[in-house]
Amino acid sequence: MSEVMSNGVMSEVMSAEALMPSKKLSARGWMRANLFNRWYNAVLTLILALVIAYLGFRSIRYLFWTAEWEPVRANLTLFMIGSFPRDEQWRVVVQLLLLAAAFGVIWGSMIGASRDRAAQSGSPFSAEPGWVALRRWWGLVLLLGVLLLAAWGILPLVLAFGCIALIFMLRRIAMRLASKVRIYAWFGGYVLLIASWQIVSGTGGSAWFWAAGLLAFWGIRTVRKKDLTPRLPLTLVAIVGGGAVAWAIYTFILNGLINFSGVGWDNWSGFHLNLIAATISIIAAFPLGLILALGRRSSLPAIRWLCVTYIELIRGVPLIGLLFIGNSLLGFFIDNDPFIDFFLDTPLSQISRAIVIMSLFTAAYLAEVIRGGLEATPRGQTEAGQSVGLSPWQITSRIVMPQTLRASIPAIVGQFISLLKDSSLLSIIAVSEILRVRASVHSQGAFTTLGTAETLVFIAFAFWAFAFTWSRESQRLEKHLGVGER
Amino acid sequence: MRSNRVKLFAVLACVLGLVAVACSSDSGNDTDDNQQDTASLLDEVRDRDQLICGTRDDLTGFAQKNSEGEFEGFDVEFCKVIAAGILGDATKVEFKALGPERFTSVQAGEVDILFRNATATASRDGREGLAFPFTTVYDGQRMMVSGDSDITSLDDMDGASICVVQGTTTELNLNAVLGARGISFNPVLYSSHTELREAYQAGLCEGYTADGSALFVYKFTSEQAGGPQQRILDEVMSKEPLGAVIADGDSKWEQAVTWVMRATIQAWEFGLDSTNINSYSGNDVNILNFLGRNDFDPGLGLDRDFAINVVDQVGNYKEIYDRTLGATGLIMEGSYNRLWSDGGLHYAPPYR
Repeated sequence: MSEVMSNGVMSEVMSAEALMPSKKLSARGWMRANLFNRWYNAVLTLILALVIAYLGFRSIRYLFWTAEWEPVRANLTLFMIGSFPRDEQWRVVVQLLLLAAAFGVIWGSMIGASRDRAAQSGSPFSAEPGWVALRRWWGLVLLLGVLLLAAWGILPLVLAFGCIALIFMLRRIAMRLASKVRIYAWFGGYVLLIASWQIVSGTGGSAWFWAAGLLAFWGIRTVRKKDLTPRLPLTLVAIVGGGAVAWAIYTFILNGLINFSGVGWDNWSGFHLNLIAATISIIAAFPLGLILALGRRSSLPAIRWLCVTYIELIRGVPLIGLLFIGNSLLGFFIDNDPFIDFFLDTPLSQISRAIVIMSLFTAAYLAEVIRGGLEATPRGQTEAGQSVGLSPWQITSRIVMPQTLRASIPAIVGQFISLLKDSSLLSIIAVSEILRVRASVHSQGAFTTLGTAETLVFIAFAFWAFAFTWSRESQRLEKHLGVGER
Repeated sequence: MRSNRVKLFAVLACVLGLVAVACSSDSGNDTDDNQQDTASLLDEVRDRDQLICGTRDDLTGFAQKNSEGEFEGFDVEFCKVIAAGILGDATKVEFKALGPERFTSVQAGEVDILFRNATATASRDGREGLAFPFTTVYDGQRMMVSGDSDITSLDDMDGASICVVQGTTTELNLNAVLGARGISFNPVLYSSHTELREAYQAGLCEGYTADGSALFVYKFTSEQAGGPQQRILDEVMSKEPLGAVIADGDSKWEQAVTWVMRATIQAWEFGLDSTNINSYSGNDVNILNFLGRNDFDPGLGLDRDFAINVVDQVGNYKEIYDRTLGATGLIMEGSYNRLWSDGGLHYAPPYR
């Protein structure tokens, strides 16, 4: 069915392309054709050009001359990491380096994997040069440039260029690995990610517990060299068992040898906290949203109604209301619960409660987004799976889900971007994320009235750099997955 | 069907396994803390060896964060006073910046004590289950207008727009005082001082009403930074005794923190400050008792040398006031925040 449809659409696109002039116009010709082709268009062009020039002039004059950037410059560290203890600041630096390394390894492995796939199907492949990617991320690069300019010094420069060098070096190495060795690169990247988390949060070991569990899963999968989905229970047992062993080793042996004490959640603040809170919520919300979406379509009424109730309840309440509930009410009954303490590195602090609420909130919205994708996947796909004798689990995981997720990528990324921006709502419950830091900055004697607009501009710019880059990447992923698949 | 049952069992086994792992982990570190529900917060704080002090991070002079991310200000100093008096070390404080639901945090036991320029009122003391052991600053609500405004008293404010922080006693007072005078005004509500200040700067309201202390600090810092002149009207619209807040029903904790705070006043009255308390060489019995040099223990559950720790590590009331509020334009002279012997309201019952 979709074959016929897309053919129809394709031919229309083709004919539209055929109508377009093939030769490129000169700049002068293009302007004549598009801006001054009628007298009223010429007038419009002139008026708009004046307006744009005026706005541009005012913006540039503001940004480079009249604006008071001193509150931002003097408090740059406060904006970025808030009241993170200054003598533990090295942890954030190491975290950045570890993240850069993980990013480089994973990125390189991804390129290597798609090169192998291309080689298998015999299609040509050329890896995108690193600088092209940097050009795509110009928002983030600009943010980095502004930060470096504001924190002018040798150390930040070395750190920034060290991270970039690390990314591209490891990317280059990982890219060239043979496909047999690549599995270790994936492991490595994963371990680096976990380590980057542990270096800040310190003792507790639960992060290592989950890491070990997932590694056990990958290990079994590699050893058995086959699809484990039909043996899900066995796999889960292996994960939990492997995890428990790793956890025991970590807690009873490693922890005694090395002191892993870190900085508790309550001391994380600034933009660092915004990014961490959003990332954790994304990671937690995604599987939950997936389960809720599937549960809502379940044939078992109990599960279906449970999921529907959850989704509609959460979607019916504003995030601020939920944050208030989590902040004020949850403290009365779930604090110091040993079971919860075990799964989180520290007792449920104000920040972790807020992160739990954000995850639960996003999961409900994600569930609806994914359900949209599920509805869009033709019923015939499931029937085809049934006709070749696949189990319901295999049909869902191998046939329906890939199509569903591909269809819902733009909406999912949109949800994540709004989650990042929503993390600024934490300021309302006095969690000192970047917007709250701004209130602190303007309570400092020198800045009570100075540069109040400039700090807002800076915060908006920081959010924009990340949101814009994510959105660009999602567009690229969309295009990438859509090509030649349907 | 069969395989489904196997799956179910396996999943159950996993869950059981997780629970078992979880339980085994707490047997090690979870001692029977929960049995001591009746114990005082005083013992709990000593066991923890850390005071959790609720404060704020956005009020100049009282509690703010510097560019190093450290809390500073008058309220913050009093957190340190409590830590020095009870734990013997002013640095053993964990500060928690709290928002408008500050009292919930006290009730839920998330903070041991709250210094967040909160006004003591009857309904907070009664219905909300809070206790106000000590007043640190005697304040009153005032009104600020722009220096070039022709408003010279509250009676000129008919029809004026007035900025006020929502949900505070300030808002209630404003309605009560102006209502009683038959002045109709246009309230402009904000959820925080930061937003309010910006609105006031942008000229969105003619009057800015808040505790006098906050207004004087604002006037001082903004004029120092080259901002426009401000004028604070003479009328005092309310009584605002600002001070410490704790949860009701823990008399041991209450008397301990009360006397620790009174020590800052008592030391001031004795003429003791951080520079001379360790070198006191007189033989005034009252002072020697206060310093714990004599064999005197009033039975407050405090260390004998608590007053020395407080004054040596933090300072007496005047020192604290001068380096925080005094440095941001709130002059002690002429206010109620002087010693009783000097015409003020600060008065500590005798330590004997």
